[in-house]
Amino acid sequence: MLNIKYFGHTSFAFEAKGTTILLNPGIVEGEPLVPADFQARIVIATNHVDDAIGNAAAISVNSKAWFLGNKETAEKAAEQGVKPWLLHVLEPEVPYEVPDVTITGYSLSRIDEEAGGRIDNLGLIIEMGGMRVGYLGDSAIRGLFEQLEMDILIVPIGGGATFQVKDAVSLCIDVQPRIGIPMRWTAEDQPKKFSKYIEQFSKGTKPVLMEPDQTLTIQWAAGNEFRYELN
Amino acid sequence: MSENTKKNVTIDLEESEKTRLGGTSELESIEVAGKLSVKNVSERSRIWNVKVHLGDSRDSTDIATESLSGGEVDVGGTWESKYGVTVEAPIVTLSEVYDTCGTVETEEPHWAYVASKDNPVKITITIKNETDGEIDSIILNKTIPPELSNIRIISSKSGTAEFDEGTRQVVWKGFVVYPHEETNLVIGATGQVHDKEPKSAGEIVLTYKGEGQQRSVLDPDLTALTEFLMGIETAETEPNQWECTLECSNESDMIVRLDKAEVYLTPEGGGEKQKMIDAAPSIELSPNQEWSASFEVASKETPKCTQEILYTPVRVITKRVLGTIEKTPQIIPVYKIDYIKEFDPPAVNSFDKTPVEVTIEVTNAGTAKLNEVFVEDNLPDDIMPPTSEHITVWIRGEEYTGEYEFVIDPEDQNPEKPHKITFRIENLRDSIGELEPGESVKINYAVMAWRNRPEKEYPSPIACTANTYPAGIPAEVASPEDGHKLGVIYKKRAISTKKAINKGADAGEYEVVLVVSNNGEVTAENIEMTDWIPSGFEYIGTDPEDDQPDVVGIADGTNMVWKWARMNPGDKKKMRVTVQGEGEYERREPQVTSI
Repeated sequence: MLNIKYFGHTSFAFEAKGTTILLNPGIVEGEPLVPADFQARIVIATNHVDDAIGNAAAISVNSKAWFLGNKETAEKAAEQGVKPWLLHVLEPEVPYEVPDVTITGYSLSRIDEEAGGRIDNLGLIIEMGGMRVGYLGDSAIRGLFEQLEMDILIVPIGGGATFQVKDAVSLCIDVQPRIGIPMRWTAEDQPKKFSKYIEQFSKGTKPVLMEPDQTLTIQWAAGNEFRYELN
Repeated sequence: MSENTKKNVTIDLEESEKTRLGGTSELESIEVAGKLSVKNVSERSRIWNVKVHLGDSRDSTDIATESLSGGEVDVGGTWESKYGVTVEAPIVTLSEVYDTCGTVETEEPHWAYVASKDNPVKITITIKNETDGEIDSIILNKTIPPELSNIRIISSKSGTAEFDEGTRQVVWKGFVVYPHEETNLVIGATGQVHDKEPKSAGEIVLTYKGEGQQRSVLDPDLTALTEFLMGIETAETEPNQWECTLECSNESDMIVRLDKAEVYLTPEGGGEKQKMIDAAPSIELSPNQEWSASFEVASKETPKCTQEILYTPVRVITKRVLGTIEKTPQIIPVYKIDYIKEFDPPAVNSFDKTPVEVTIEVTNAGTAKLNEVFVEDNLPDDIMPPTSEHITVWIRGEEYTGEYEFVIDPEDQNPEKPHKITFRIENLRDSIGELEPGESVKINYAVMAWRNRPEKEYPSPIACTANTYPAGIPAEVASPEDGHKLGVIYKKRAISTKKAINKGADAGEYEVVLVVSNNGEVTAENIEMTDWIPSGFEYIGTDPEDDQPDVVGIADGTNMVWKWARMNPGDKKKMRVTVQGEGEYERREPQVTSI
């Protein structure tokens, strides 16, 4: 069973068998999405921009959690106080494994809205709680994700630095996960459109719209029946 | 004197009913005005002390007294008295059915013009005689509105009907309607309107006469005096025996009826008078005709007699009803529709998959209520159509959850085929009420633009129709055949390849570095890159291992072929290929293809 809690923007916590992975505890409009005393075993930031890395270093230090990220992000985390022995640079397509969890990064990128150009961003495949979860972070491209199999796909939809709704829907159509979860929307109608289009055009994929502080529980009931519940 | 030349005083009742009907032939008002006339038809005799007795028969009128005093009426003169009568309905029923679409049989007539089309108008006018007497002197004038052309009389059950171009009136006349029968006239025409303003269907004026009929129940009688001689002759037939004779003579040139003749004898010695003649002959005396009656009495003196005589000129009653019915023109509204069709976004990136919101709004742009709306939308290929459960419909700004039909043909979501979408909403009058002028039906659905090509056009023509209840000729509006093109924004494709040939660690070993990158603005799909290994060298391996090529032998060496399903803008692949052999490693540039 896998519990996925949403904090808003691109921040999630995955929990299974007592292991918690925190993703992108960013700071948005000056406010941290996740409290600094949040307890996690692994903290991951998919890129070094504040809305992704946020207070990840503080949380990692406070909870003595591993910090995972690409090279630039790890360097920034180190600058922010993460001890070197807790830092791990995720190399693209090289799995990182701890008991019951496998995390594989894929090289993606987000658009640098201020300076132009692109910023490296990791997409992740996280295997835990019997599920394969695809997580694109702040990605504006799909990279290898369209070729990967996964049960759950978490995609940005807000445009700007990342995917627009159409890109997220297009990826869901190609990947056909069991569940598609939108994140990082910038307008109220975006998640509704995402749900509408997924229901209409993506065969086999159910859109699940999560509001901040909601938790999605997913499990294989009786071994092979996919079930989920949003609380 | 023959019957034909007999002269009788005439009591004439002429009652005029004036009826007004509404646009759909409903009774709006009726007024009946009566005129009671006493006509002295004599050529030389006055009549005086004229009284018309009405009794209880005046109940439906506004006449206040049981009898009317007419005084003296001179030779050839007339005395008149007017009155009003209360009635519920005229003696003739007029109805008009103005059917704007006479070629389509329906229980109820069509009541609105469709704009900018030929309306096959059929006008049926029916006249029914509701009385036991004949109705004659009928003249009907139907004004033909200017929107109508090709006016023709389809049928006329009675009389003759003709259309006068000058006055634009159909005049129907020359017939009688027998008791409780009806007749009708059918006019055909073609109606054309080009704006939405309601039109007049033209008024009808009907005049008629019902001879011998009346709307009141007046049953008048007359008493009057005229030139009439009367007297008693007393003649002694034997001593003290007398014969007394009452003699009457009609001195007028009219028929006079003698109603009462009484003679009283005063006894010689006094005492109560004795009635000696008591006659009620009710005899009608012709001019100069005499009437007498006598009795004998014994008396020493000349008997003293007195008389009481009642007579009156004989009257005849004539009566008729004169009627006029004015039918107010029916107001004929116009039905027409407009539509808006929008794509959001109006254009999509080439070679991408983009959800596109399609909004179609059909507005009642006329003045008639609409009962049904039909939309046929056409989606070109490279568009994935919606599913029927994902359509949303709004009416009057609110989401409509009632019944409608939504069909996608073919019934699949294959983006490689064009699709026809039909939407039909009917019987609004029984669900949420007909669509009022200015109101609209809005339909929204999403489609998925599917890897559209920039050199191709994607027209999405639409046709909308609407109709009233009952349905006639539909109002239509449509786009051109190549209308409503979904725009495709051309995004440049740029797949670049770079190649380096480096010496390997061992003798005869080379490391070929190949980099393929998508430097374009659009995702590339089905990328295939081929690089050549010269004869004398053999393929050893590729790093990374996940990017192993298909190795195919050819006449002058070996080809390595890589295939990728998709490369997004900015995506890059880098492979290090190890080859080993002898000789010079000739360079050829890698070939790459994609869509």
